[in-house]
Amino acid sequence: MHESERRVIAAAMEAGGRRNLSRRDVLRGFAVGSGALAAPSWLAACSAADPVGGSQSDEGGASGEPKRGGSLRMGAAGGGSGDTVDAHKPVDRPDINRVHQLYEPLLIRDATFELTPVVAESVEPNDDLTVWTARIRDGITFHDGRPVRPEDVIASFLRITDPKDPKVGAQLLSFLDRKGMKKLDDRTVEFALTRPSALFLDAISEYFQGIVPEDYDPNKPVGTGPFAFESFDPGQRSVFSRYADYWREGEPYLDELVIINFTDDAARVNALISGQVEAIESLPYGQISVVENDSKLTVLESESGNWNPFTMRVDAQPFSDVRVRQAMRLIADRQQLIDQVLVGHGKLANDLYSPGDPCFNDSLPQREKDLDQAKSLLKAAGQEGLQVELTTSPVSQGIVEAAQVLVEQARAAGVDIRLNQVDTGTFYGDDYLSWPFAQDFWGTRSFLAQAAQGSLPASPFNETHWADEQFVSLVKSAEEEVDEQKRCEMIQEAQAIEHESGGHIIWGFVNLVDAYSNTISGLDPNVAGHPLDRYGFRHAWFV
Amino acid sequence: MSSAADTAASGGTHGLVRRSLAVGRTRAGLVITSIVVLVAVFGPFVAPESETGFVGAPFSPDAPETLFGTDTLGRDVWSRFLYGGGSVLWLSVLCTVAGVGAGLLVALVAGYSRTWVDELLMRTTDVLLAFPAIVLALLFLAVFEPQPWTVVATVAAGHAPRVARVMRAAVLDVAGRDYVRSAESMGLRRWSIRLGDLLPNVTGPLMVETGLRLTYSVALVAGLGFLGLSGLQADQADWGLMINENRLGFTVQPWAVLLPVIAIGLLTVGTNLIADGIARTSAGTDREVVG
Repeated sequence: MHESERRVIAAAMEAGGRRNLSRRDVLRGFAVGSGALAAPSWLAACSAADPVGGSQSDEGGASGEPKRGGSLRMGAAGGGSGDTVDAHKPVDRPDINRVHQLYEPLLIRDATFELTPVVAESVEPNDDLTVWTARIRDGITFHDGRPVRPEDVIASFLRITDPKDPKVGAQLLSFLDRKGMKKLDDRTVEFALTRPSALFLDAISEYFQGIVPEDYDPNKPVGTGPFAFESFDPGQRSVFSRYADYWREGEPYLDELVIINFTDDAARVNALISGQVEAIESLPYGQISVVENDSKLTVLESESGNWNPFTMRVDAQPFSDVRVRQAMRLIADRQQLIDQVLVGHGKLANDLYSPGDPCFNDSLPQREKDLDQAKSLLKAAGQEGLQVELTTSPVSQGIVEAAQVLVEQARAAGVDIRLNQVDTGTFYGDDYLSWPFAQDFWGTRSFLAQAAQGSLPASPFNETHWADEQFVSLVKSAEEEVDEQKRCEMIQEAQAIEHESGGHIIWGFVNLVDAYSNTISGLDPNVAGHPLDRYGFRHAWFV
Repeated sequence: MSSAADTAASGGTHGLVRRSLAVGRTRAGLVITSIVVLVAVFGPFVAPESETGFVGAPFSPDAPETLFGTDTLGRDVWSRFLYGGGSVLWLSVLCTVAGVGAGLLVALVAGYSRTWVDELLMRTTDVLLAFPAIVLALLFLAVFEPQPWTVVATVAAGHAPRVARVMRAAVLDVAGRDYVRSAESMGLRRWSIRLGDLLPNVTGPLMVETGLRLTYSVALVAGLGFLGLSGLQADQADWGLMINENRLGFTVQPWAVLLPVIAIGLLTVGTNLIADGIARTSAGTDREVVG
């Protein structure tokens, strides 16, 4: 069955079942980085040089001055009857898209991965990272015209972390003292943490931590975002109108934004080619050359820190033997995986995530395919002629394809990988997080934020059951460390441990490939790991 | 076995095959089907590349040293095509044999029972006939994990009631004839009458049904393969699967879709022509007998 059809089924299953905090809620978040502020090294290859979030310098590198007016129709990938416009419960891509238009968090990572103030003007920690003070931007208002008050900020975080109904961002804010939030004056809020954490900035700069009014009603959604709610038909279309009093001067340029759902990849591309929509996300690799050869269309490719690992459980046979894990990592021909699965639209990885983290350990040697070494490791482990089952599922573009390529590569090393292909619902069902050998997809995060999600014993999605003691204590110290240099040293040491004996095979970072019509401008590459310049329609305009 | 039935049997089957072969459309069907079967059976032996090896960038129509370019993962389309027919073919044949066999069994029982058993069996098939075959198949495969044997069971289960209906009518027709009455009067057991007198005299419709069911099987099996429900490992070559995994690149690299589409089309047309040829011959035979 094709991916898009699976998505429909999976979406239907989800709509019927768990709609609260789940793996995908967080995953689809493709969140941001650590407290560090430098631009990631992988930006060099991108042309996303213009800063986002300043006052109004987002016109992009495109031709001329932005013009006002027009209704932009955007082709969204997927979506279903369970879709939402709730600020704090986005699950799938169209949900995330809508959240970006309607709401804004205190801070956000911009196109160059730098923290930029949005609803807040500034956020400052105290000396030991236990108390953070946020100052609300002067004159910022909700779509109904009311100003944003400290009470609204506090209510938003209480809603997100509601213990009875935790939202997508609750897990990230586990260190937030719910009773410790205080209004200091009409524009200032103080947050108290239950433990020191450099992760606070990351936690509040996620798109799903939007600030909503104290009396927020998701059925009549109101936020501070560039577009205001008009209508919403789950899984079909969403119509938003320009918010005239938006705080970024001049923006948004469009009068109206219409998000139209397409569950079929081919239909989405055809809609763009035939002019039914002006922009689409997730251009299938097979169609890139079609769009490239069309003089009326532009392909938008963004590097990202999104990664699709193979996950080996370090506490299950045969991967409990570190030599088997090392052998599997040596079997993978990373460049071939990128060439065949991503058609070259990706960047080589070294079994480490968070390449955009300023502390990223790039001194470790790049792991290359080495079948002889792999075979001798397997022999030493008594696992010659190893037979393993790899559980795969079309949970994201290229996942099942990557599994097929690895099967072929393993064959050359005498390892027989059997594919156990299951549907998305089964994959994220009861056995999720207990498959001995499986796959998954993750977004762009900094090291500490990612480790908190997937690499610590207490992490919600620790697929590899990774619990290395030294690693755990290094990560803990790094999170509490005030000094950035010392924090980086700890992070690099932790990464060296994962590189040596971890349970992930991380072969590449995925480029996002989207497309738009030349009738619009203002969308540029963005490293945040979200399509179409992080759904940056606020600075898009009709030429 | 009565001598009358004996004669009818040999004359019926062999004569029918011989006479069908004289019909142009049967021969055309046979030629077309044989070509596809030959490709499916011997393809893997002459394929230039392995089924799963990578030979170039994905979806490149003119990758060096490939006849028809590469597929969605950069594998050789021509080799995948040569490997991919086997599964469609043997699954279809198994589905047909199982489905027709089961249907025939029901027909022989129902058509010659003259009791409530007939009613029960036929009303049951009525219920099953209410569901389109593909819906029934999807339902089964949603409940059971798709495996090659579940696919066979599913498709066969879809065929059985249809075959049973048609064959029961044929059996009923024969059951009223004099040689059956005479066999009954000689005190032969009912099952030996079924196998000895009834079965040999319904071979015409049986062959037509088999041919038709084979056609439908090919379409269903390929369709399930397209939906990824044929229970084959994801990297295995299969015509149905090939159409699905390569359809997004159709505008760039049409061969990866066209080759399996053409083969499945030919196989369907070929088997249908054969079935049609037999049907026409067998109808003519009946008229001659009656006349």
